[in-house]
Amino acid sequence: MQPQSEYEHEVAELIVESLNLEDVSADDIQPEEPLFGDGLGLDSIDALELALAVTQRYSVQLKADDANVQEVFSSLRRLSAYIAENTS
Amino acid sequence: MQSPQSSRPLTSRDPGDIIAHGPDGEISVGQFVARAIELAGRLPDHRYVINLAADRYQFFLGFCAAVIAGQCTLMPSNRQQQTVQQAADEYPDCYLMGETTAHGIERFDADFDDPGADTVDVEIPEIPLHQLCAIVFTSGSTGAATPNRKYWETIRTSTLSNVDLLIRDQKARLNLVATVPPQHMWGFETSILMPLFSNIAVSHITPFFPQDIVDALESLPEPRALVSSPVHVDALLSANVDRIRIHRIFSATAPMSAELARQLEQRFDARVIEIFGCSEAGTFARRFTASERLWRLSNTFDLDVGQDRVVIRASHLPEDVVLHDVVELVGEDKFRWLGRDQDMVNIAGKRGSLADLNHRLTALPGVVDGVFFMPDENSKRLAALVVAPGLQASDILEQLKPGIEPAFLPRPVYIVPMLPRQETGKLARKMLVQLFEQTQRIRAQQDEGPTDS
Repeated sequence: MQPQSEYEHEVAELIVESLNLEDVSADDIQPEEPLFGDGLGLDSIDALELALAVTQRYSVQLKADDANVQEVFSSLRRLSAYIAENTS
Repeated sequence: MQSPQSSRPLTSRDPGDIIAHGPDGEISVGQFVARAIELAGRLPDHRYVINLAADRYQFFLGFCAAVIAGQCTLMPSNRQQQTVQQAADEYPDCYLMGETTAHGIERFDADFDDPGADTVDVEIPEIPLHQLCAIVFTSGSTGAATPNRKYWETIRTSTLSNVDLLIRDQKARLNLVATVPPQHMWGFETSILMPLFSNIAVSHITPFFPQDIVDALESLPEPRALVSSPVHVDALLSANVDRIRIHRIFSATAPMSAELARQLEQRFDARVIEIFGCSEAGTFARRFTASERLWRLSNTFDLDVGQDRVVIRASHLPEDVVLHDVVELVGEDKFRWLGRDQDMVNIAGKRGSLADLNHRLTALPGVVDGVFFMPDENSKRLAALVVAPGLQASDILEQLKPGIEPAFLPRPVYIVPMLPRQETGKLARKMLVQLFEQTQRIRAQQDEGPTDS
């Protein structure tokens, strides 16, 4: 398993917290594994909840073109990078 | 007996009206119909088409081309490969349109980049009223799909009923954005069918995040309308997005609170209209949620509230539809919604049976007893309490995954020593909630408490 960076760990904690994933700990989330579908099994309701949590914590509005929603949430690494890129 | 008129036009609108906002700007009815006719001539020769286009304009054009060509559009409940394959297995004389990872099914690339014919001087095609135009699949908790057949007569009559119910007094053209996919019944009725029969121009974009919704709306002229669900508009309100004017917000798929409706109206200078319906019957009632509790029934429908079941019927529906709701009639054309049938739950716009979920849970190897339930009114997810000595919650989830629609997977799963069954074997909701909360507290203490050294 690839190690999480400190920043990724912080985002992983936000994921677990905001989605009430009681049986998953932040450390369990593999940085390159998909968050949705087969990975953590999250769905579109989770995506909205998580987007809201990200907005509240980092003041980043998630934006996506039609087809890109899945891209932003494709992995912990991608999501963390997106937040970092868009944080002023 | 032959009906006096056996066909009706594809659209009731004038060729010069604007019907859609595509990637390159406004599209008139004339342009749209001309393109649909051109596309219809190129479609593969099959009876059914699975239209998975994510771009709403492409879906719209593909759907109308199929209708013109006498083909029936299949609308699976989601885009997952398994679901698409299931539809293709049941209707083998089919092909695929739109983006998909599914393979082994014939694909047709419509080449939407070519704008094709560009005339407003077009004859509107006539569609036979008895033509089967769409099959909308509803998936229960198991993902097993039930087909709902939509004939041109059904589509036309129910859309005219929706226009009357939702935008009767609307004079200026409404410019509409929908967050719901066009393949979902609610999105289909409002964002695809209503523009064919009323003064609506629909955006090709399906926004997801709050800021995307605002951007999509802002790119359109006023008056604007948003077709959405409580989950989406709740997020829109909570995210700190720009205040823009949204003339009308139409919501469905789950009940909305009066408070949420009032906040939306204030924030976006909007009127919130909530609709009541199901995939089988379509929309049949509405209310102005901020100020009304009662639902107003469309005059096209009859609601028959019997001792043990509620039936909705209309002459344009192929059959009567039994509702999984408890309602009380108030006067001639209004009703009060008292809740869902005890067994039914609705999650992420999908309907499932608790009895069926429980059956699947208790059938798992190693599970002695178990139950699914909604922890409280505001829960977005189901929870499960399971008696399964020697098993972990994660084992249960893994075993449930293959057979259950992901939205219905319980979150959380608690392993408990036993369920509080009464002598008759019944489970009282109150007792379940008590056990659930107790388990939750113990878990929280374990997480926070000092560990023994």
